[in-house]
This record gives sequence, structure tokens and C-alpha cells, in this order.
Amino acid sequence: MKKIEPTILKGTRDFGPLDMAKRNLVMDKIRRVFERFGYDPIETPIICPADTILGKYGEEGDRLTYNFEDAGGRRIALPFDLTVPFARFFAANFRDLPLPFKRYQIQRVWRAEKPQKGRLREFYQCDIDVIGTKNLIAEAEISKVIVEVFKELEINFTIKVNSRRLMNAVLKDFGVEEEKIIEVIRIIDKILKIGEQAVIEELKLLQITNPEEILRLLSQDKALDETLEKFSKYDTSEIKEFLENCRNLGVEEYVEFDPSLARGLDYYTGIIYEVVSKDCEFGTICAGGRYDNLCGLFCDEDFSGVGVAFGFERIMLLLEQLKKFEDIKLNSKVLVTLFDEESKEDALKIYSTLVEAGINSEIYFEADKLGKQMKYADKKRIPFVLIRGSEEKEKDEVVVKSMATGKQKSIPLKQLITYLSGYYESTK
Amino acid sequence: MNLQNKKIRIAVQKGGRLKAPSLEFLKSIGLEFESKETGLTSQCLNADVEILYVRNCDIPQYVKYGVADYGIVGENVLIERKSNLKIEKRLGFGKCRLVIAVPERSNIKRIKDLREERIATSYPNTLKGFLRRNGINASMIEINGSVELCPSLNLSDAVCDITQTGRTLEENNLKIITEIMDSEAVLISNPSLNNGKILF
Repeated sequence: MKKIEPTILKGTRDFGPLDMAKRNLVMDKIRRVFERFGYDPIETPIICPADTILGKYGEEGDRLTYNFEDAGGRRIALPFDLTVPFARFFAANFRDLPLPFKRYQIQRVWRAEKPQKGRLREFYQCDIDVIGTKNLIAEAEISKVIVEVFKELEINFTIKVNSRRLMNAVLKDFGVEEEKIIEVIRIIDKILKIGEQAVIEELKLLQITNPEEILRLLSQDKALDETLEKFSKYDTSEIKEFLENCRNLGVEEYVEFDPSLARGLDYYTGIIYEVVSKDCEFGTICAGGRYDNLCGLFCDEDFSGVGVAFGFERIMLLLEQLKKFEDIKLNSKVLVTLFDEESKEDALKIYSTLVEAGINSEIYFEADKLGKQMKYADKKRIPFVLIRGSEEKEKDEVVVKSMATGKQKSIPLKQLITYLSGYYESTK
Repeated sequence: MNLQNKKIRIAVQKGGRLKAPSLEFLKSIGLEFESKETGLTSQCLNADVEILYVRNCDIPQYVKYGVADYGIVGENVLIERKSNLKIEKRLGFGKCRLVIAVPERSNIKRIKDLREERIATSYPNTLKGFLRRNGINASMIEINGSVELCPSLNLSDAVCDITQTGRTLEENNLKIITEIMDSEAVLISNPSLNNGKILF
């Protein structure tokens, strides 16, 4: 019989046990921080009616959204991000939800992009949002969450922030027509990618009269006060109050007001964020902002929200690059070896005691040569191997072999659990 | 202003080797009070100062929580409790050393021989720090007292304990292989509270 090629689709990945150990470690850290701030998780379906997904991200977004007809002739789409499914969920459920509503969501999303490094067709996003309040405490809280997440992950970072409201006011003041504003913002957003000169050229093409002056005003000065001073003729109360809240939450040193920060998405209305790594050039690792009417797509009520998405796959690449996974362990801590058929009963009893004591353990399934069992332990990165031959049995002891140092140590069987639970790994 | 707020409270050992010299120190700086054998507080006669007698290992907590303004405690206890408190003054008494000791005939001769061995201690945090600094993986057996007994009972291969003269170690046939820290009594305060800031 012809075998089927065990292949996967381009832009998707298999994650083996080692990958999953790393991913779960990072995801758990992120999740624990979200939970520390009172965010509860939700999950939304993978297959959705196409009209709840399509038409929300502009033409480009629609083109990148996976959609197809199912056997019942329904148009189905896969989520492009987690914000729109969340807006749909909230619109359908807000009457029963506590308001303001805080949720986190860690799920896969799909984009039919050309796969390249760091850009996949199937990947994870980690979102938090607060919806149903306009108070800038929410914005500051999001900054604090960002700070705690990246501190937890030991990534050096800066949170660049700006006010979309302020940017709109500036552009209007420079005579940019209302309908051109989002286009201008999209162009300014590319400043790091294409450079100042190219931005000026593009703005000129759009018939913006004095692009140099706009960019000069939107540039960032060394000191926050100087930057704010430049905007004294505009209403800067939003950014000031936000920064004040950040100061009181103890995160001011991480937050940097950058008036040129744009964020291309057009639904932002207030404070926007973009987090960059200070360790290496890596682009944005987390981004988001205030949006005023996302749920309006799904219900009559008006709800303002603010949230950010953590780019999980980019964070993983960055951590890998920073060599944060060198000592990553898999689940098993102890391998109980099977010495011979006669010792099976004894080995099973020890195994049972270990797992009942909450120590991640496993038993080798065959009375193979010890060398083979060791090799297995090595391959699974199991730090301890237990050996109990007739001599140890007689003395009621057990040999604990450390796979890292190769050292073998006999200890009384009754102390096995104490020994393992008191074991301190200085290298961890 | 409420008088309660002005009162200064000093936490000292309720019983143990630091109690007498601690009280002596307080008298030496001019405080007059009745030393009590029992009872949990003493009021000073010549100042608005109250002395609290509490368990040794709780002294850093009392200062941290701000219920005592000062405390007199062994530096070893302070480090074990990982309290972020300010040492105002080293007091020169209650000197001792935190050491690692092993049975006379042990194969453990140097720090790196401690790898994978069992170390009994009442100072797990300090021991952890020591192991981390030296890159040693070992099993810590937490025991609250009479730690010196453990090796002879085959409960541990080494001990990490405080010693003043080394006599107890000797009596239990233990020899010191390394010293983790020198300790003496210290006067501590809570810097974040004294600044008028609230930490928690």
C-alpha cells in the first residue's frame, strides 16, 4: 500500500516535547501575570461564520483571512486575530458580564500570508483587553501588565506610547483633511522601516503641504518635559494623566512618550502602545491601544476598550536568541529503572510512592541493560535515575544517580522523597 | 497628635543568647527599664520607648510590618529571612559563623564534594544562596534544631549551621569545611517606613 506523506502545511508547525516545554513555560508565565491583574480567560471558536470575521480588517486583512465553504454550504472563516472575535463575544454577552469586562485570551489565529521567518500562517496571540471604561487607569494598568510580563520573561524593553487623539489634533492643525488622516498615519507608521526622507516623499505625493514640519514636531526630544512642551498649544491632558497614572503604578521608567508612534490600524482612538526589545533589533513584541467603537460592528451599544496583543511567536524567537532555554527540562524528574524481572514488584512500589508524593517520575518498561535505560533517561533529560540491585535492597537503600554529574549516591529508601523534594538545582 | 504614634518600639529576643546583651546595649544608650524574665513588653521609665520580647526569627517581620521601629537580631537571621531592612548599627556581640561541617571521616573535603549530597540546615535560604553562588546541586534537609545530630543518624551527609566556639560541632565529630558568613547582632530598622513611604 502506498504510504501517505507525513507532511504538514506550509506556514504551520509541529511542536515536539522540547518545543512544548519552552512554549508552555513562557505561556504559563504570561498567563500568571495576566491573572495577577484580575484578567480571566475566555476562548472563542476556531470556525466562525465568515461575516463575523471578514470585512473588519480592510481589504488586505480580508485577503489574508482563511475562509471556505463547509459541507452544509455555509461560509466559514478562521480568526485573523483575537480582537474581533472578542468584540463579537462581548457584543453577544455583555448583558451577563461584569462591566467593565477584563479578559485574557491565548489562542491560535490564522493568516494566509507568504510564510517566512517569524511570519507563519498559524500562530498564537496572547491578548488582554479592558472594555466598558474610558478611565485612563485602564491604560496605565495595561502598561503595568506589559512591564510585569517582560520582567518575568527577563527581556529588556521599552513601551513606546503616543496619543492618537493628539496626533489627529496635530494633523488637523496642519491642515490635513479628515479623510486623509488615517492614510497619513499609515505612512508615518513606516518611518522606522523606510526612513524619514521616504516618508516625506510619500506625504508629498498625498499632497500634504509641509511634511518636514509635521515630522519635526512629531519627533521625540530627549527629555519628556521638552517633548510635552512642544505640544503645549494642543490638549495633552490625556497623555499627561496617563503618564501620571503610570508613575503611581511605578512603571514610568519603562514608558516612553514618542509622538511619532503611529500604529497603522485605523480603529485606535486614544493611547497607543508598541513594545520593543532593548536586547536586539526585533521589531514589535507587543502592541495595542484604545479603541472606541469596535463592538459597534456587532451591537448598537457603544463600548470603549483598551488592550494589547503579545506577539507570542516573536517573543519565543527573541528568548531563543537570548539563550533563555539552555536548561529547559522535560516533565520527568526521575526514572525508576527495571533491574530484572524479580525486582519488578519493588520497582513498581517505588514508582507508585514517587508519583503519589507528587514527584514527576516514570518507570522503564523493560528489564533492559542499564546502559540502555540510562540512554533513555539522557534523551528525555531526566535528571535522576534510581537503581536498586540486590545489595541496595538488602540494606533498604536506593542508589540515586545524577545524570548531570554522573555521581551515584546511596540513601535510605525512606528518605528518597525527602532527598528529591529538598534537592536544589543551583543551575536552574 | 496621638502619643501612640510617637512611641518607639524595639523588638528584642524573648529568650536566647542575644537577649541579655541586647538589653545591656539598650541600657548602655541610656534607656531605663525593668528587665523582665517573663512578660512580652517593658516600658522605659525615662523615654517613650517600649521593648517587645518576641521570637528570634520573628524580629525582622516585626520591623518589616512596621509594628516595631527597631529590632536587635543576629545578622544570620536577617539574611535568612531575606528582609530588605537597614542595618543601623553592628553591635559587636552575639558573634557566630554560619558554616558547613561534615563528619570527621567524610569523603567530603571541599565545597564541590557537596554535589548531590544531603545537607541538613535550619537556614535553607542562606544555604540556597551559597549553593547557587558555588554552582552546587544538593539536597537540603530542613531541620529546626539539633542539626548537628543529623549526620550520625544518616539523615544527612553534611550540616549547615551556626557555631560560636565550634564546641557542639566537635562534640558531634563534625569538622568545618567552609564558612558561609560571619554574623553578629545588628540593630535594624525599616528604611521604607522611616521615609514616610508605605511599602505594602
